Amino acid sequence: MASRPDRPPATPVPDGPVRGRFEEIYDAHVVPIYRYIYARVGNRPDAEDLTAQVFLRAVEALDTTRDDAQIVSWLYRVSQNAIADHWRAFYRLPLVAADQVAPGWEPADSAEPMATTADEPEADLPARSRVTALLARLPENYRRVLELRFIERLSVAETAEQMGISRGNAKVLQYRALRRAALLEGSADG
Amino acid sequence: MADRPRDPQHEIEAADRFDRYLDALVEDRRPSPEDITGTDEARMAGTAAELAGATAARDAPDPAFVEQLRRRMRQADAGIASLRERPPFSPDATVGTTVPAVRRIRLSRRALLQGGIGAAAGLAAGALGMAALRGPTAPTGGGLNGGSVPLVPGEGFWQAVTTTADLPAGSAVRFSTAAFDGYVVNDGGEVRALSSVCTHMGCTLQYRPNWHDLRCPCHGASFDLHGELANGRDRWGESGGYAGDAQAYPIALPALAKPKVKVADGTVYVWTAQV
Repeated sequence: MASRPDRPPATPVPDGPVRGRFEEIYDAHVVPIYRYIYARVGNRPDAEDLTAQVFLRAVEALDTTRDDAQIVSWLYRVSQNAIADHWRAFYRLPLVAADQVAPGWEPADSAEPMATTADEPEADLPARSRVTALLARLPENYRRVLELRFIERLSVAETAEQMGISRGNAKVLQYRALRRAALLEGSADG
Repeated sequence: MADRPRDPQHEIEAADRFDRYLDALVEDRRPSPEDITGTDEARMAGTAAELAGATAARDAPDPAFVEQLRRRMRQADAGIASLRERPPFSPDATVGTTVPAVRRIRLSRRALLQGGIGAAAGLAAGALGMAALRGPTAPTGGGLNGGSVPLVPGEGFWQAVTTTADLPAGSAVRFSTAAFDGYVVNDGGEVRALSSVCTHMGCTLQYRPNWHDLRCPCHGASFDLHGELANGRDRWGESGGYAGDAQAYPIALPALAKPKVKVADGTVYVWTAQV
């Protein structure tokens, strides 16, 4: 914003070591964190909102003097909490195993929820293999309708055409398929 | 959840409604929780989100988003740094007093939001500049507390955010300017602009057309279309409850910031600033 004579000039954004360190962390992790979140909320606007929450919390509470591994671990833990909060509060139920983590955004060493270090470097890989495994356990027509809808990203009309069924039937089929898939996921989680 | 056949008519209706949720996911839009009924469907929604997310999770985030968030982080960090240099509760601190430069002040998000710095977290740059410029003696409380204090100072301009055709009565349109994010709502013919940032922890509020409120997905605060907390305990006592909620929100929250808004020639504008 431009300054005017009747006002003091805008405070310049400091270019000190603190900002430099945050930007380093941000540049290194914003893409993997975004992907990690995207894989769990499934749409861009929600993934952007939650990614923003994570990094703004980092500005507020992350101790940047920690080593890289601790910072990565902190970021993923806060991401898990943000995702858990998103599902729990948006839909009013606990959907994600991370919900036992206490708020406050401090790493709780005793609470080690779903993500492990193996989940961190390529966070989208486990999500994809989980989905592949889940689809493989479904009956053929259930798997087909979900593949067309979510992997091919076809509309209901296109999906119905591919499967040679009515649109109404395609909607009911995908509804049943997701019910079954959610059931399988629930049992897999214990 | 029982995997059993249901009443056919009920299932057809449920599948039809649920498909709206799925359409949003497939088209990479934000799904509405209004299209979800009950625990079973919420779990199905979670599974659907994973399916949709797994195929697109390789995509990089939008570069514009990454840059915008970088600016918000810088501003938030600058706000914390400026508080560190000028403690808010000792305005008479001598110029030149040395303040330890490395120790980061820990501030709760609520303190930041209520003090105006939270603007950095949610409303982003402009409002933060205001808080920093005014220094500790200025009434920063109004920054998020009401509509009288401008959200952004100085060099503002009117930015078109939607058209009246796209904003029929009872609807809301989310917008994003360089300086802040919000909703314009049409509340029975009256157009208002409201911040979309919850004054509790800065989560993004969701418009719920059935209840005409802005709902926080994080902890369940609901704000009415004047920006006031709608499901707080105080109102609970007055009116015996809130239709859009089962229980009162436990703590009082400041009202949402209300950017200036105007309608001209079928276009809706909000007053915003360069950042």
